[in-house]
Amino acid sequence: MIVMPRFNFWTVIMILTWVMLFVLLFVPVGSVLVSSLYDQGGNFTLANYTKFLAESRFHQAFANTLVVGFGGLFGALLLGSIMAFCVSRFVIRGGKFVSLLAILALVSPPFIGAYSWIVLFGAGGVVRGFLRDLGISMPPIYGVGGILIVFSLKFYPYVYLMVSGALSNVNRSLEEAAEGLGLTPWQRTMRISFPMVFPALTAGGLLALIHAIADFGTPRLLGRGYNVLATEAFTLYAAEVGSNMSMATTISVVLIIVSMIFVLLQRYMSRRNVYHGNMINKPIRIQLKGWRNVLAHFAVYFIGLCGALPVIISVIYSFRKTSGPVFQDGFALQSYERILFGLGDVVRNSLSFSVAAVALIVVVGTVVGVLVARRTSLNTALLDGAFMVPYVMPGIVIGIAFIAAFNTGPIVLTGTAAIIILSIFIRRLPYTVRTTATSLRQLSPSMEEAAISLGYSPFQAFLRITVPLIMPGIIAGGMLSFVTAINELSSSLVLYVGSTMTMPVRIYLLILDGDFGVAAALSTILLLLSGSAVYIAFRFMGRNEQALL
Amino acid sequence: MSYLTVTNATKRFGPTFMALDGVSVSIERGEFFTLLGPSGCGKTTLLRAIAGFNDLTSGAIVLDGADLRTLPPHQRDIGMVFQDYAVFPHLSVFDNVGFGLKPRKVPAAELKIRVTEALDTVRLGAMAERLPAAMSGGQQQRIGLARAMVIKPRLLLMDEPLSNLDAKLRIELREEIRDIQKQVDIATIYVTHDQEEALAISDRICVMNAGKIEQVGTPQEIYGNPQTRFVAEFVGSINVFRPGSALDAMLAKLGHAPGGAATWTARPEHLALVEPDGQDSGAATLPGTVTKFTYLGREAHVQVDTPAGLLVVQIANPGMAATRHTGDAVAVVVPPSAPMAFGPDGARVKR
Repeated sequence: MIVMPRFNFWTVIMILTWVMLFVLLFVPVGSVLVSSLYDQGGNFTLANYTKFLAESRFHQAFANTLVVGFGGLFGALLLGSIMAFCVSRFVIRGGKFVSLLAILALVSPPFIGAYSWIVLFGAGGVVRGFLRDLGISMPPIYGVGGILIVFSLKFYPYVYLMVSGALSNVNRSLEEAAEGLGLTPWQRTMRISFPMVFPALTAGGLLALIHAIADFGTPRLLGRGYNVLATEAFTLYAAEVGSNMSMATTISVVLIIVSMIFVLLQRYMSRRNVYHGNMINKPIRIQLKGWRNVLAHFAVYFIGLCGALPVIISVIYSFRKTSGPVFQDGFALQSYERILFGLGDVVRNSLSFSVAAVALIVVVGTVVGVLVARRTSLNTALLDGAFMVPYVMPGIVIGIAFIAAFNTGPIVLTGTAAIIILSIFIRRLPYTVRTTATSLRQLSPSMEEAAISLGYSPFQAFLRITVPLIMPGIIAGGMLSFVTAINELSSSLVLYVGSTMTMPVRIYLLILDGDFGVAAALSTILLLLSGSAVYIAFRFMGRNEQALL
Repeated sequence: MSYLTVTNATKRFGPTFMALDGVSVSIERGEFFTLLGPSGCGKTTLLRAIAGFNDLTSGAIVLDGADLRTLPPHQRDIGMVFQDYAVFPHLSVFDNVGFGLKPRKVPAAELKIRVTEALDTVRLGAMAERLPAAMSGGQQQRIGLARAMVIKPRLLLMDEPLSNLDAKLRIELREEIRDIQKQVDIATIYVTHDQEEALAISDRICVMNAGKIEQVGTPQEIYGNPQTRFVAEFVGSINVFRPGSALDAMLAKLGHAPGGAATWTARPEHLALVEPDGQDSGAATLPGTVTKFTYLGREAHVQVDTPAGLLVVQIANPGMAATRHTGDAVAVVVPPSAPMAFGPDGARVKR
C-alpha cells in the first residue's frame, strides 16, 4: 500500500462516493419503501402490503412472476447447457458463428424478440398462416407458453457463455483420472464435470432468472392478460386514471426482495463449489460420427438460429415496403426514411443519453474502482456491498424509485434528460467498479512502486503506469455499458417525457401502435450501434464473450 | 560515519506483531550487503522502509549524512529491483530502462547513450525495441536491473530478485549481478532467503530472525563462525548431539569443557566416517550403524545412529567405494575443531 502523505484525495473521493450512493441509490430505494408504507393522506400504514397479500390479482401476478422466472431459468438452462456442452466438447463446424448467434440474441433490443415471434406465430403470423395452408393448425403464441419460449431463447446465452467457459477450463487430467478409476463416460460427466461447472450453471441460471423476473416488455406484448409483477407495477404507476403510486412502490419492494433472495441463494449454493483448475490440460473436442454428429449440429444451430431469429426478422422487415403501418410486397427504404424525417430526435436522444451515461460510468466507475481496490478498509468493503444493490433492481423498479425520489423535494429531476442518464448510470456503475477493481488487483503493486523508486510521484506513477495498463479494459467495459445503456427500456419507459424519448421507448410504442416497419428499422439501427460497440470492445480486450454478462 | 546507517529501526503491525524490533545496521560505500533470513523475519520490511514504501514505527535511516525518512519515496533516488520484475508491459525494453531518466530531465541524446550502455551491460542490447511481455524471466529481470542501475542511484535495493527463476539461471544471473555491482560501484542491499545465494554474492551478510539481527559478518564469518544457533542452522546445516554419557565422554576425549553450553553441534562436513574399529589420533570416534545413505553426485550424506544421536556425515566426491548400506556398522570421527557449543539462549559459547 502506498502512503500518500498530506494528499487526502482518497478521503474526498470516499465521501463523494457515499454522497452519490446516498442520493442515487439509498434515497430512491428509501423513497420506494416510504411510499409503500404511507397512504395518499400521508399516514403510516401497512394497508398496501395487506392489500398485496389479500387481492387475488396480486397473488396471480406474484405466482406468474415465479412461473416465468423459473420457466425462463429452466428453459435457459436446458438450451444453454446443451449448446455449451456440444460446442465445448464436440467438433462443431462454424463454432464461432454459433457464438456470434448467441451474442446477437444477447445484445438484441429487448421485447423486439417478443414482437418478431408474434409476426411469425401470432394470430396472423406468417408461419402459422403457412402451416394453416398446409392444413396444420397450431395455437397462437400468446400467453405464458409464448413468454417462456421467448425467455428461454433470449436468456440462454447467459447460461451458454458461463458454462462453455467453465467446461473448457475443466482439467482434462481430472476426467482422465476418473477414466483410470473405471468410471463410464456418463458417470464421468455427472460426477466430475457436472460438479465442476455447477457454479457456472447457477451463475448463468441466476442471470436468466433475474432478467426474466425483471423483464417488462415481453409479458406486456405476449402476455395478453398474463400479468407479472413488473407489468403490474407499471400499470399501477402509468394508469391515466387512478394512478396508484404507493401500490406500485409496494410491488417494487416485493420485486427487490424476490430478486435479492435469489441472488443470495445463488451465492450460497455456489459458495463451497469454486474450483480453480490449472489450464495445463485443456479438454479436447471429440469429432462425432454419423447421426450423433448430425444431431449435435442440429441442436446447436437450431438453438442459435431460433435465438437470433427475432434479430433476423426485424432486419428483414425493416427493408420491407410499407403503406402506412401495413406491409406490402417487395422491399424499400421507406421505414428508414420515416426515421430520418420523423424520428431523428429519438435517435439523437438515445445516442446522447447513452454517451453521457457511459462517460459518467467510465470516469466515476474507474475512480471508485481504484478506491475499492487500493483502499482496503471496512468502508470500502461496505462500499463494495452497497454496489451489489443495483444488480438486483429491475429497471422498472429503478424508474419508479427515481420518480418517487425526485418528483418533489430538494432535487426535482422528473422530465429531464438527467434522470434517464442517472438511472442508467447507477444501474451499470457496479459493473465498471467491479471490473476496474478486479483488473487493478491483478496488477502487481510493485509496478507502481518501481515507477516511484525511479522518481515519479505516486500520482504520476498511477497515471503513467497503471492507467495505460487498465485502459483497454476500461474502454471495453465502457463499450459494453453503452450496449446496455442504449437498449434500456423499462426504466426509461417510466422516466421519459415527450422530449426525452429514447429509441427503445419509441420502438415499444410503435409496436403497440402496430407500426412494425419503423419499429424494425429502429431496432436494426439499435442493433447496428450495439454490434459496433461489441466489436470495438472485443478489439480492445480480445474476443471475450463472457464479458458481456 | 558509514554511508547508510539504520538505527533502532522498529516496525509494528497491529498491537502486538513486531516486524522489526530495534534493528541497527550500517553499510559502506560500494558494499554488497545482504539481508538473509526466513520469510517473515523482517528483511523485506526493512528494505521497503529504506525504499520508503512503508515507514518505520520508530528509528532513523540516514543516507550519506541526510535523514531519509523525511523524504517521500520518489525523491530518495534509490534504485529498486523487484521479485516479480515489475517490468512495464506496455513499454519497450528501451523505454522501460529509460523510464527513470525522464523525470531526471536527461537530454534525449544522453538518455540514448546511457540506456544503450545499461542494456549492453545486462546483455540485452539487441532487444531494445522489443516488448517485454514475451521475454523470459531472466531477461525481464535483466531489464529490471538495467532500469534501476541507469539512474545512477545512491543506493540499489534488490528484493529477492532471483527467487522466481529456475535453479541454473539463478546461479548464472547472481554471478552477473555481482560483477555488475562491482563495476558500477553502487552500495547495494540484497534481500534473500537463499543462504547459498547470500554466501556467493555478498561482501557482508546480515542474518535476521523474528525482527531482530542474529549476526552481521562476511560470508566466511557467518558460515565458519556462527554466533547463534539460529545462524548455524539457517546457514548450512548442523547435527545436534544428544546429551548423555556418550556426548560427555566425547567432549572429555576432545578436551572441551561443557561449562555454560546447552547444546553441542557439528556440521556434517566436519565429521568423517571410518570402519567400526578405526581410530583417529586426537579425534573422538562414535560407533554406530548406517540408517540412510543419500547420494547427491558431488557429495553424499550418510545418516548414522550413534550413542550421541542421529548424525549426518557429509562425504565429498563419493566414489563407488563410498556407498554405504543401511545396517552397516561404522564409526563417526569427530575432530576437536568440529563441535560448536550454544548456550540456553541460543548464543554461541566460546571454548
